[in-house]
Amino acid sequence: MSNVQQEVSEIISKQAKIDISTIKVESTLKDLGIASLDAIEVIFDIEEHFNITLPNEDVNFESGTVGDLTAAVERLLAQKSADS
Amino acid sequence: MRRIVITGMGGICALGHNASDIWQAMTEGRSGIAPLQHFDSSLMRGSPVGAEIADFEPLAFIDEARLPFLDPLAQYALVAANEAIQQAGLEFRNERAARTAVVVGTGSAGEETRDGLYRKLYAEKSGRFHPLGIVRIMSSAPCSQISMAHGITGPTFTVASACASSNHAFAQAAMMIRAGLVDTAVVGGTEACITPGVMQAWEAMRVLAPDTCRPFSSGRRGLVIGEGAAMFVLETLEGAQARGATILAELAGVGMSADAGDIAAPSDVGAAAAIQAALNDAGMQPAEIDYINAHGTGTVANDSTETRAIHNVFGEHAHRLAVTSTKPMHGHAIGAAGALEMIAVIGALRHGIVPPTLNYVAPDPACDLDYVPNEARAMTVRAALSNSFAFGGLNAVVAVRKAS
Repeated sequence: MSNVQQEVSEIISKQAKIDISTIKVESTLKDLGIASLDAIEVIFDIEEHFNITLPNEDVNFESGTVGDLTAAVERLLAQKSADS
Repeated sequence: MRRIVITGMGGICALGHNASDIWQAMTEGRSGIAPLQHFDSSLMRGSPVGAEIADFEPLAFIDEARLPFLDPLAQYALVAANEAIQQAGLEFRNERAARTAVVVGTGSAGEETRDGLYRKLYAEKSGRFHPLGIVRIMSSAPCSQISMAHGITGPTFTVASACASSNHAFAQAAMMIRAGLVDTAVVGGTEACITPGVMQAWEAMRVLAPDTCRPFSSGRRGLVIGEGAAMFVLETLEGAQARGATILAELAGVGMSADAGDIAAPSDVGAAAAIQAALNDAGMQPAEIDYINAHGTGTVANDSTETRAIHNVFGEHAHRLAVTSTKPMHGHAIGAAGALEMIAVIGALRHGIVPPTLNYVAPDPACDLDYVPNEARAMTVRAALSNSFAFGGLNAVVAVRKAS
């Protein structure tokens, strides 16, 4: 598991108050029982933690998985370090 | 029970600065949605859009002496109220003044003023505030200003229930008239919240459409914020007839409910309860309704939930209803939504034209009603409902009947 995926999982686990071991790379936020504003708060916590802005295109609450989210964060972090 | 009729109507929004221009735009299917102009939105994601009021010159409508006291929130309310009161042909003297209510729905407050003061405090580090900040910001300023401008001395207050504020206001006014507390009411809603702080907060909820508002359509991506006000004069049928007033429509019933569920996600059960309550209050059968002006925000959740609620209440008749959302034209004006949409409902009843649901591209299996896509339809409308379902699960529906 990459560091980013570990950190994303920790944020989800903390926000949704679920055991981190239940969070798989293929889990969607919906599978994890995170809906509505809770899901939006998870995204916000990820943005704050990594200091990035996730475009709406990278946030799909129905079918987006933890893996997708991790990939989006890694892409934005790479962009950020390339820009700086 | 006292019957209540509507004898005056006024409005201002992205579609026009009076109710007839707004109605005309609705029948033509014009949209007021465009890239944001009111402020520099470069801190927002993408290129945000809104349904903003353009080319508005307040001094063309409002006394120079009164204007410094008014945030756009109250300016819009006053413009709409003046038009409605003029159309009704009423003056508020003596007993009429004391037996008239002013009830105004609004979801926020004087946001432009608030934003300006906070910018001064936090960005410019200046504590020298304009002394009229409070009287501009307070959410009750619009109803106060209407009462002051017209000398109305009866019950006057603001109703706040986010996106359902206008419809809750109609309900409060109707109940006061029925109870015999007043004979006349100036009622509606106002909103002016296209400001940096409020828009940034909306964007953070990830409910704003990046492109446009396309209710009930596949590919819909969220709501588009609008602004403006609409106001109406309500009075008893008896009173209107006695003075020979032109009756625009009858306000037949109101229904209210709370989901007691999620702070943001809508509930078909709560929405259906409010729709059913409005029909019950109006003494109407579902089959008497021809048109529903839907809440239809253009979010994935609202439109499918609202469709289910309509099915639950209307059964077989659901497929015979015309159900449209006019929000792709005037935007989601939050606390003014139900009032602006009442212009569409009254127009449909009076002129036999149902305004379309614009920007509709293709059916969504979860939204299977007749949404009158993209072009207005000529049809007889005997009675109509106007739905408003707010964040926090606050629902209010108004039933309106054609003037007989």
